[in-house]
Amino acid sequence: MNYTYLDCLASFGVGGAHPGGLQLTKSILSREYIDQEKSILDVGCGTGQTSAYIAEKYRCSVTSLDSNNTMLEKAKQRFLSLHPPINVMYGSVENLPFIDGLFDFILSESVTSFTDVSLTIQEFKRVLKPNGVLLAIEMVLENSFSEEELKTIVEFYGISQLLTESEWLNLFQKAGFKQIKVEKFKQQFDENNIDTVTDFSLSENIDDKLLEIFEKHEHLTTTYKDKLGFCIFRCCV
Amino acid sequence: MSVGDYYSLCQRYRGRAVEIVTHDGRIHRGIIGDVDNNSVYLQPLSRTRDLGGFGYGWYGYPGWGAGIALGAIATLALLPLLFI
Repeated sequence: MNYTYLDCLASFGVGGAHPGGLQLTKSILSREYIDQEKSILDVGCGTGQTSAYIAEKYRCSVTSLDSNNTMLEKAKQRFLSLHPPINVMYGSVENLPFIDGLFDFILSESVTSFTDVSLTIQEFKRVLKPNGVLLAIEMVLENSFSEEELKTIVEFYGISQLLTESEWLNLFQKAGFKQIKVEKFKQQFDENNIDTVTDFSLSENIDDKLLEIFEKHEHLTTTYKDKLGFCIFRCCV
Repeated sequence: MSVGDYYSLCQRYRGRAVEIVTHDGRIHRGIIGDVDNNSVYLQPLSRTRDLGGFGYGWYGYPGWGAGIALGAIATLALLPLLFI
């Protein structure tokens, strides 16, 4: 079997597999008005770290969607003890299994980058309520990549393209989002704050091939840590 | 730090990636899968290597392997892994 980076994340059960980890998630959400009446969609929920946090903190309706069954199983395990329960769904963000205008918030934590971005953003727009908000933490291309470096990254992570900040903005606008705010984000690691440190929900047997991907990823992130940018996009319908 | 201190630390860091250096100079990088009164068990982050000097992870053991004796730990630090 040919494993991908996303298979590797699933097998290791990487929680908060996005820049900034849970700490950034908490800080982004704290700026929003969220009460028990709100409904939030966490796309590409992974092992459910963010969803569980939202459900416990805000006591609102949370729907967690992922297209990887290993991830969903781990998320369900995590959610077992949660009240109110979280609605767990299998599905693709490029074709969301929801009716129009259902959610107040959508959270995409380094998920949209791994899909057909233009399709996915239109889907977000469709399932958000009027005045709904999309919060997305996504990779952005900064100028300093050579063609070859770009190719390495695009192929390894299985992404269709790496977008610049203005390309992202264009696509959000094209899909009909208004009031788009962008913030640049720099990766930080603080040994004293456990929220900045990834948590893993390991599968029982991890194939050597997956370890190989893990090593390559570590190598790439170390090599390009000053070149890969991340942005927080806040987009209103 | 005492064995008891390392036990508590490993409990706290369960499910996190760490780098442990043991008194024999070996470096172990992995995710803490389990800990008991005597040992900490890691899921390695690199493939098993033929060992000359440094040891990475476990060699030939299924599951968590034999573990690292808590008493053998010289230093233990969280690893700054990043994901996208």
